[in-house]
Amino acid sequence: MKFTIKCAFVTAALLPVMLPVVAQAQVTPERLLNEANEPGSWMIHHGGYDGQRHSDLTQITPANVGELELQWIWQVRSRAGASEKFEATPLMVDGVLYTVSPPNDVVALDPKTGRVFWTYAYTPAPEARVCCGRVNRGLAIHGNTLFMGAIDGHLLAIDATSGQLKWDTVIGDASLGYALTVAPLVIGDKVIVGPAGGEFGIRGFIAAYDVETGVEVWKFNTVPGPGEPGFESWSDPAQEAYKLGGGSIWTTGTYDPELNLTYWGIGNPGPDWNGDSRPGDNLYTESVVALNPDTGELAWHYQYTPHDEMDYDSTQVQVLADINWQGQPRKVLMTANRNGVYYVLDRTTGEFLLGKPFVAVNWMDGFDEKGRPNQVLSPTTEGTFIMPNNQGATNWYPPSFSPVTGYFYVPSWMDTYSVYTKRPVTYVAGQTYAGAFPTMAMPALSVRPVNQRIPEEGFGAIQAIDPATGDIVWRHEMSDVTDSGVLSTASNLVFAGGREGFFYALDALTGAELWRQNLGGQVASGPMSFELEGRQYIVVAAGAGLFVFALPQ
Amino acid sequence: MTFVSFHKLLLGSATALLCASATVVLAQEHSYAPSDIENGRGIYQANCLGCHGNNGDSVEGANLASGRFRRASSDEDLMALIRIGIPETLMIPRPQFAYGDLRALVAFLRSMQTGGALTAQDTQEVVVGDASRGEELFFGAADCDSCHGVNGGGSRLHPDLAGIGSTRSAALLQQSILDPKAVVREGQRFYQVTTTGGTVVAGKVMNRDTHSVQLMNADEQLVSFRESEITTQGFIATPMPAYLDVLSADNVADLVAYMLSLTTPE
Repeated sequence: MKFTIKCAFVTAALLPVMLPVVAQAQVTPERLLNEANEPGSWMIHHGGYDGQRHSDLTQITPANVGELELQWIWQVRSRAGASEKFEATPLMVDGVLYTVSPPNDVVALDPKTGRVFWTYAYTPAPEARVCCGRVNRGLAIHGNTLFMGAIDGHLLAIDATSGQLKWDTVIGDASLGYALTVAPLVIGDKVIVGPAGGEFGIRGFIAAYDVETGVEVWKFNTVPGPGEPGFESWSDPAQEAYKLGGGSIWTTGTYDPELNLTYWGIGNPGPDWNGDSRPGDNLYTESVVALNPDTGELAWHYQYTPHDEMDYDSTQVQVLADINWQGQPRKVLMTANRNGVYYVLDRTTGEFLLGKPFVAVNWMDGFDEKGRPNQVLSPTTEGTFIMPNNQGATNWYPPSFSPVTGYFYVPSWMDTYSVYTKRPVTYVAGQTYAGAFPTMAMPALSVRPVNQRIPEEGFGAIQAIDPATGDIVWRHEMSDVTDSGVLSTASNLVFAGGREGFFYALDALTGAELWRQNLGGQVASGPMSFELEGRQYIVVAAGAGLFVFALPQ
Repeated sequence: MTFVSFHKLLLGSATALLCASATVVLAQEHSYAPSDIENGRGIYQANCLGCHGNNGDSVEGANLASGRFRRASSDEDLMALIRIGIPETLMIPRPQFAYGDLRALVAFLRSMQTGGALTAQDTQEVVVGDASRGEELFFGAADCDSCHGVNGGGSRLHPDLAGIGSTRSAALLQQSILDPKAVVREGQRFYQVTTTGGTVVAGKVMNRDTHSVQLMNADEQLVSFRESEITTQGFIATPMPAYLDVLSADNVADLVAYMLSLTTPE
């Protein structure tokens, strides 16, 4: 009898082994292209290829959002202080929530309970250097493989079921400032990233790697060299400036499958605050580029801030939408730029359609017919008072576009300013290659628990912009500034937070506050939403925790 | 009565202290050539300001303006810390800095103590009088000590001035007496709330957010108000009166001299 039971148990235990093995997540390129058919998932960093960060889930509404309850909290391993902000937006795929604990530990969580399935702990090389935080913004997935960029310039592929490393490709020399903070973008069989490091004299690029092997497939130099289009915009006589020309990448691109173009915003030229060594417009820094994701070939570009000396990195999300433009449907690209201006471009051709400040701006006073800004202020040796400040009107914090309301929602730093002083700068390999850091009343990275600033020194807001006019529809103001992303939902809700630690649900049409929760640490991440077993969840990282909310059962 | 700049005075006091006692080394270490401070400011702006902020207080737990450093006490410690960096933080090694650069940077960091980062106006020459007469005024006719302590005394609402002389210029101190509203530092700002019950409460701002404010009230009590308890609120002028038409020029010069003599931190 005992023998019989034992045999039966062994047979049962072996049964699954004899069946075909199906990995937990099988995210085909088709699933990513049709992610809109799976509103309960969140398989791409910005929610979809269009970068809209808009959820079609509607269980949570303006009428019931006040009942939201905390379901669970998961705390990261690190202190997540000023230099290790918890910035990642999780992915939700086939019943597992994946995110990154700063700087570079990948974790698979049970979305019902917050319990950990596995952790892939990665220790970045000690020579890693990043300007603005040992941070990571999230993951990408293809098949059953997760992709993460590490701050030491490694691109890692990790098994989504076991948490085991599959491959590890070095994309740049960490000791020279090449770092990955961007969430990768998977298109077809390629994973696309580009390095941060614009304050260290890197020469930037966007590159695609084979998802199976990690081998580089193509590379687009964001700072062109001799023989490449755009090199003529680096007109120093010695033709050396481009080698340290910056052009970093730290925010994930977007993708239009119909046009087969991927759009990436590009960071500052180097050195940041003294452009004397790099005369010319310094393409493709401070630009958006539209690339063919199969080849890396450039289709078009538009430069937001030519010959920038204010560090107005143009890496903000290039959001794609089809909107009514002057009575006709048009495929546009929208972005709220760190330089303080909201832009609309035709994403087929790159044609400039609209540019309008969404905060106080004094460095430019208009555009020519082709959309080139008329710059009226620059850094000087005596110091120049310029608005917005060096951290910018907005930054890496992702905005949202709701096709339901038709509004573009932007985390904004209001009324900020810097004094930019031009000083000599010398390149030393691996060291800051920037110039004199501008003064700011508003700290760029601070998470000090105290705010004693007066409103004239700046404040934060979530703003709703009419995309066709650039007009501000509503503004939700905060005493302190915000490093939070924005999530909109099809039930006309907008979720966002700020440095004070408040996390808000706002009426997407009016901006009225419908619900708020103090999470006890700054919200410096992009909120997201998923559905599991019939319940809609709202997820946001704040301080050192990942907070998950849902309606009562 | 003499015309001196802050830096000249600082160097003068350093020289005097060199001949004084066993505290010489520390005193000398905390007094620096103006050219070093100015050079250090440039190095700070290019390498440090992005994280540490204008006033050195932007990194939690590492307030450079406090004059106290968890990982270093001497100038040599600080220089080594800057050169080697701190692993697993944004504080990367800076091996490229020559000794002179590090020395200048430390000079600037020391000048930031108690939030007194130097500005261009600090090099303006002003009249500096007699410190002993200034002390008499401070604790006597001018009644400064009714608000300001020196190593104790005074009110919690207002800054204790111990050490003020090592971090503020004569020009800035003179301005603080004649026109205190011109420069009010973060942390010394005052706020007024009118409650829904009609009570008016003014106090020093300890903290505030979008939905509440935390104050130290006139009775030196910590109080807070939610937005639902408030009808009107806002920053108000510093309660420090302007002494432009109250004190004579000689009295002001003597008070400046006294405060410049307060070089020992609390």
